[in-house]
Amino acid sequence: MRQRGAAVRRHLTWICLLVCGWSAAAAQGAAQAAGSPFAEGIRAYQNLDFDQAAALLRRDLARATGATASASERAQGLVYLGAADLFRGRRDSAVAVFRRLVQLDPRYRPDRLVFPPEVTSVFDNVRVETRAVVLVAPPDTEVSAGTGAFTFWVVASAFQTVEVTLRYQDGAPFRALYAGPMGDSLRVQWDGLDAAGQMPPVARVLLRVASRAPTGELAGIVQLPLDLRVVHVDTLPWPKPPADSLLLPERSGSRPALRALLGGALLATTVATLPSIVGSDHPSGSRLVVAGAVGLAGALGYVLHRPGRALTVNIQANQALRARWQQGVAAVKAENVRRRDDVHLAVHAGEPTAIKPSAR
Amino acid sequence: MRVPALAAALVALGAGTTLARAQGLTPAGGLSVVSTRVRGTDLLTGTALGGQGALALGRVEFALSYVQGKIGPDGGGAPGQDLVEGVALLGVRPARWLRLAVGPHARSYTLTGGTQLRWVFWELRARASGAFVGSAGRGYVELWRALSASVNAPESFDHAQGGEAGMVVHLARAPLELRLGYRIDHAVLGGGTRLETVDGVVIGVGLSGR
Repeated sequence: MRQRGAAVRRHLTWICLLVCGWSAAAAQGAAQAAGSPFAEGIRAYQNLDFDQAAALLRRDLARATGATASASERAQGLVYLGAADLFRGRRDSAVAVFRRLVQLDPRYRPDRLVFPPEVTSVFDNVRVETRAVVLVAPPDTEVSAGTGAFTFWVVASAFQTVEVTLRYQDGAPFRALYAGPMGDSLRVQWDGLDAAGQMPPVARVLLRVASRAPTGELAGIVQLPLDLRVVHVDTLPWPKPPADSLLLPERSGSRPALRALLGGALLATTVATLPSIVGSDHPSGSRLVVAGAVGLAGALGYVLHRPGRALTVNIQANQALRARWQQGVAAVKAENVRRRDDVHLAVHAGEPTAIKPSAR
Repeated sequence: MRVPALAAALVALGAGTTLARAQGLTPAGGLSVVSTRVRGTDLLTGTALGGQGALALGRVEFALSYVQGKIGPDGGGAPGQDLVEGVALLGVRPARWLRLAVGPHARSYTLTGGTQLRWVFWELRARASGAFVGSAGRGYVELWRALSASVNAPESFDHAQGGEAGMVVHLARAPLELRLGYRIDHAVLGGGTRLETVDGVVIGVGLSGR
């Protein structure tokens, strides 16, 4: 009796869990389905009409192109289709759909609030068994050739061995970047040079990732075209030499000398005639001493400021100004040498393509 | 006794200069030796020591000067008598090279006969100055005329005028300036019956904030 009660409680618990799971899935799925090109199929799935859902989703996926549905939308359609097939009892079909999904996006993981463990466990098994990689690269990058690096990620669905190479468009090898095992993701860098350390002689190379099964068998190839453009950094113009208006005269003119001479003479005369100016008629001779001293100072000033005399202070100031200009020129020259050597490589990543190995 | 006093005065002047500059004022000051000759009823000569100070605030300037010394008969061996002179002026500078000032000018000295002659002039002064040897050597000419005067002489005051001219050399690496000038004051009393002339050479050293 007690055992029967426990069994009933267990069943009730399962029923509650299923109801809750379906409710949550319905709410989450409704939000996801809105605006999706696979909305009809998803709605049918949420209504538990799995046959209808599979038919609609298969039809819509067949119609979907890169223009009408994004990769994430196609991934969503595939996961619902795989789940629908699984609930229809078509496990093999579900596995094939999930394999397509993993190959489309190895990073994709089904939402565990939407899909029950039956679905996610099958998906996980498929993901582990499927060797798929995707390349994640910035669309446009400019790197300093040799010193910089074009960095991209290789994301894998499962542990596998990969060979990352750059190839000419005809498939001939250009540069090997990595060969070896990888887990979830791998960060790879290219310094913009070929195998000989030279700038690429071509305008386009192919970034190719070949993944291999543990048996060594080629599992798939992902290829990304890279458009290359050599960018030379502009050199700087030389600074202009100092303008004549900024340079001080290096030789004295005649004005200071004449001012000293004439000013001294005028002042000496004034001193000598000051008694007459104020009306005194018996001035002392001491004024002549002062007048003579003033006149002498004027004459001395004339000698010190004689025309054509080299103005040392101005010469030094001009030399400092010219030296600063020459330093600026030297700095620009050095910068231009650096810029001429610093060749940049602009890399534009195109759309990746997946190549499946031909069946033997 | 005079040397320590002069040194103390220079130190005080320097301290005052620094303090005034901190308050936005432009001070100037100096000490001078004045070789004086008084020619009137007597001929007296001597040497006096003087001090000058000025404080400028913008275009307005206030100046004081004081001279004190001994003068006696020219060539005589008799001890000199006191000569004291002071000037207070309030001036403006309409231009950098020109100063116009007005103020009292008092002078007192003792004649050979023991009579102490005291003068008080109210003067109007005009002073022009400008550099003539580079920027270090400046010349100056100052003329004044008495607007009114009082003197304890029997003759009535007629008119008085005077002037000073010379040069000031600014030292390149210090706020010090050296001054050499000739000054003369000429007063007429009693319609020309009595003339009093005071002239002399001024040699000074000063501190200038300009």
